[in-house]
Amino acid sequence: MVTRGQEGGSAGPTILRVLLGAHLRRLREARGISREDAGWKIRSSESKISRMELGRVSFKERDIADLLTLYGCHDEEERSRLVALAKEANTPGWWHRYGDVTPNWFQAYVGLESAANLIRTYEVQFVPGLLQTREYARAVIMLGHGRAADQEIAHRVELRMSRQQILTRPEPVQLWVVIDETALRRPVGGVEVMRGQIEALIATAKLPNVRLQVIPFDVGGHAAAGGSYSILRFPDPELPDVVYIEQLTSAVYLDKREDVDQYTTAMEVLCVKAEPPERTFDVLDGILSDLHTHS
Amino acid sequence: MSSVDLKTDVPHSARVYDYLLGGKDNFAADREAAAKITAVWPNLPTSMRANRNFMTRVAHYLAARQGIRQFLDIGTGLPTSPNLHEVVQAVAPESRVVYVDNDPIVLVHARALLTSSPEGRTTYIDASLRDPDSIIKAPQLAQTLDLSQPVAVCLLAIMHYVVDEQEAHDIIDRLMGPMPSGSALALSTATADSNPEEVGRGIAMYNARGITSKVRTKAEVTALFDGLGLVSPGVPLVHQWHPDDEALSIEDSQVSMYGGVAIKP
Repeated sequence: MVTRGQEGGSAGPTILRVLLGAHLRRLREARGISREDAGWKIRSSESKISRMELGRVSFKERDIADLLTLYGCHDEEERSRLVALAKEANTPGWWHRYGDVTPNWFQAYVGLESAANLIRTYEVQFVPGLLQTREYARAVIMLGHGRAADQEIAHRVELRMSRQQILTRPEPVQLWVVIDETALRRPVGGVEVMRGQIEALIATAKLPNVRLQVIPFDVGGHAAAGGSYSILRFPDPELPDVVYIEQLTSAVYLDKREDVDQYTTAMEVLCVKAEPPERTFDVLDGILSDLHTHS
Repeated sequence: MSSVDLKTDVPHSARVYDYLLGGKDNFAADREAAAKITAVWPNLPTSMRANRNFMTRVAHYLAARQGIRQFLDIGTGLPTSPNLHEVVQAVAPESRVVYVDNDPIVLVHARALLTSSPEGRTTYIDASLRDPDSIIKAPQLAQTLDLSQPVAVCLLAIMHYVVDEQEAHDIIDRLMGPMPSGSALALSTATADSNPEEVGRGIAMYNARGITSKVRTKAEVTALFDGLGLVSPGVPLVHQWHPDDEALSIEDSQVSMYGGVAIKP
């Protein structure tokens, strides 16, 4: 039988462990190092590495330092950031607003995203990042960082594109999106870019692991009117769902059960009000033909 | 569209079940009810898991041994791996499954997450077991199932919510009536026979929490299959039905569900 933690208990650090574990796994895989060799390096076993990478065990600072060396991570700043993260991950019950702790809040999200097996997203304004085409992503990023150097824009676009690998990897993430029709009608980057984006959505929504529901204009105000957010679920039965809300300069992570319940209820309401997934293709086709008339 | 009240502040059987199986699609009211129920019925989670595994073995049996390719699953509940269509489509990818539930949260999850293999099909009907005609006459059923070919009707862990015996028989008659010869009824439902005191307390707690339910004797459960041909071994506790190793490791006193499969002559 599954054992359970206390309701509303100190789940924060477990999420941090997942985050750090997933990051260590990416570093290890990028270097082509086996779990066995990594285990050997920290005087332990393959299964210990496996448990660490799944966020199931706490981290020893010395192990983290040794693994980072093995994985070729020599940048002092990066190393101390990760060791600090490991320390936090071992501290019970501190953590709700991850954005206060590190400016690299978005990297944290990318880590969680790749560790999740189900992501539910509600989007009001834009097509969600995981479903954006390169051109659409560039247009969205230009809105926020229009004065940044070309290179930085390109770097941000690349980051967004590489996040999308979780949709097509072996054992891909299940992505369940509720999107406001407004976001699909707003021609970000112009009609041509939007047409490409809608065509891409039609293709992606056919993936067995992607479900897209549209909330039409004629549905009045809805419960989640606060704005866009995501709920991430992790394969480990012990890990709570995490609500992620992006803000302009930071992000809020909620994993207290009462908070997650409220956001989940709002998400259920949105899903009930939205058109069912099988209607999505008709809606997208309609938008596409409207875009053709307007061009 | 009018406002939606999903009543997540009131315990719901599907979400209590989800919680007791270790799922995460549940709310405070469900978890609180589950805690109260398992305090007096500590074997309930084991029994529910035994029932879930019974579903897996039954679905596999119907697909692999009876060659059935069409399934009508009433009282789908929240997705829990492996789901019925996954089991039967692993045997025959072209299998078609119609999922029926009347809870809006269950339905949105089913539509989003219980998705078919490309060769087969899954559809969803928003209807109640208490109104079997609304299931049989639903356009999605006619679009998905060919009623000239055998259909397996699955009533797994749902009949204990129908407390009137005559109504229970009527529902099964209505559902099996239009199905052709060779169709199957797979059913499991609660009993107190194996552990009268504990289950009695637990069922009382369910009723006290607003989830009306009842237990049945072996004779009463067997009678639900009247007119159909029960396959061996009849109507045992669910873990004794074509057991696998996991099922064999469970004690009878931990399991409070009878189950069986019968074929329409």
